Amino acid sequence: MPSVIILALLTIVPTIFLYFVSFTNYELGQMWNEQHLIGFQNFIRLFSGQDTEFWLSVGISLLFMVLATFFETFCGFVVALLLNREFKLKSLVFACLLVPITITPSIVGQMWKLMYNAEYGVINYIMGLLFHTKIIWLGPAMAYTSTLLVDIWQWTPFMALIIYAGISSVPAEPYEAALVDGANAVQSFRYITLPLLKPLLSLAILFRSMDSLKLFDVPFVLTQGGPGSATELLSLHVYRLGFAQTGWVARASATGVILLIIISILSQFLIRQLHKESGPKI
Amino acid sequence: MKLSKALKNSLWAIAITIISILAVFPFFWMLLVSLKTRVLTYDPSVWFFKPTLENYIAVFQQRHLLFFAKNSFIVVISTTVLSLLLGSMAAYGFARFSFKRREDWAFWILSLRMLPPMATVIPFFILARFTNLLDTYLILILAYMTFNIPFSIWMMRGFFEEIPVQIEESALVDGCSHWQVLMRVVLPLSLPGLTATAIFCIINSWNEFAFALFLTGINARTLPTTVTFFLSITGVIWGEMAAVGVLTALPVLIFAMLVQKYMIRGLTFGAVKQ
Repeated sequence: MPSVIILALLTIVPTIFLYFVSFTNYELGQMWNEQHLIGFQNFIRLFSGQDTEFWLSVGISLLFMVLATFFETFCGFVVALLLNREFKLKSLVFACLLVPITITPSIVGQMWKLMYNAEYGVINYIMGLLFHTKIIWLGPAMAYTSTLLVDIWQWTPFMALIIYAGISSVPAEPYEAALVDGANAVQSFRYITLPLLKPLLSLAILFRSMDSLKLFDVPFVLTQGGPGSATELLSLHVYRLGFAQTGWVARASATGVILLIIISILSQFLIRQLHKESGPKI
Repeated sequence: MKLSKALKNSLWAIAITIISILAVFPFFWMLLVSLKTRVLTYDPSVWFFKPTLENYIAVFQQRHLLFFAKNSFIVVISTTVLSLLLGSMAAYGFARFSFKRREDWAFWILSLRMLPPMATVIPFFILARFTNLLDTYLILILAYMTFNIPFSIWMMRGFFEEIPVQIEESALVDGCSHWQVLMRVVLPLSLPGLTATAIFCIINSWNEFAFALFLTGINARTLPTTVTFFLSITGVIWGEMAAVGVLTALPVLIFAMLVQKYMIRGLTFGAVKQ
């Protein structure tokens, strides 16, 4: 299995190296032999509470993950149920829904930056026409919500398409039987659709939550983590520590290790849940 | 309390229309801005105007967009070919042979899908610095293989498992060697799957941002990272900003329309079959 070996080289070696760097005091621009092993100092700094920015960033990221996944699943359900009937132009609607999913994420950030602009952006123009108000979308109060909105815009179609695929593969018989038994629409949704969709839904939720936890490109372009650190998700925090002004690569690595561990634990947990529900093959 | 059917239908139609418009509007708006003259870009109330190509001409002449597009193409094509080759070989193994702890290996590969780029980019960056690979095509191609190979394995495994074993067995009985079976029977049958996987690899690599941003400077820089040109000077050259965005996103959108049929399969890492 040569490809598995290559894959292992490409992923395990850098990961081990990341752990190694996180135990040193290496900084950007130093020669490699200038670094020293300093043991757990980087981690002690993170966990002893000195580093409030780090904890803020962890909180922001986790909240972002929960909110984004929740709203995307919810809206995705609504859109999928709307799609679940025969109509002309269905393929056109599908094509429209594909646009947010596939468009280059860094360009997504840029697009929304154009639209969010307080003075010349189209959103405030429309808001002005309809409600005669303006919102400073990327200001301190709104930036987090705005970033969340972009993520919801980008990934609701993803959820909708997957849920739609699930719904349309459910056979008609159970519904007919339920109808005979006098179940109403809500009941048949609750007791037939949801259980049958569960494996698929958990897979989609797994992907979405992990992806929103490691999100980097959209907020990087949209807000750069700002204003202040209002939208500094963990990935952006790693970036700022390691690459932006400071160049504390070792401390950034320690933060990266934490990010990696959070994601591994959560994804292992979710994958195991999935495994239990749907047998050995996902 | 029962709504009349016609009213219900028109409400539904309005909802679907609004959803579709919401999905495409940001791209449409960017396209609109990219075709405006400089003065007009600051006026969101103008929707109808004589389009100009001046922004596109400017990005090609002053911002060397063709050079970055060339980089993108080179990196994307190489990583796709390599990943597809390695990935489908492994996938064939997963699909056809049972070996010890096969599902554990498979899950390890699935978990690579969760690897956060910001955690892997640091070691890649440092290792590349000391091997003088920074800002070369090679390092980007290698970095992209970390997500393209797992993806190819999962996608191709599903496609291979859909090919009935009997076909291969009967070819073996007819005197084909294993290699011949692979080349003459399996390969043609899995061609649609290979194409779909390839297109997804292309889309994912083309869109990749974090690796491209940190591992390249100017020589191997790819299109999505050109947005950083406009980060510090916001609001000054919106037209060009939008033009770059349109040019970067358009190839991907076209590709996506080509693989519509396989879209959900690709998005779920091959886990959901259609």
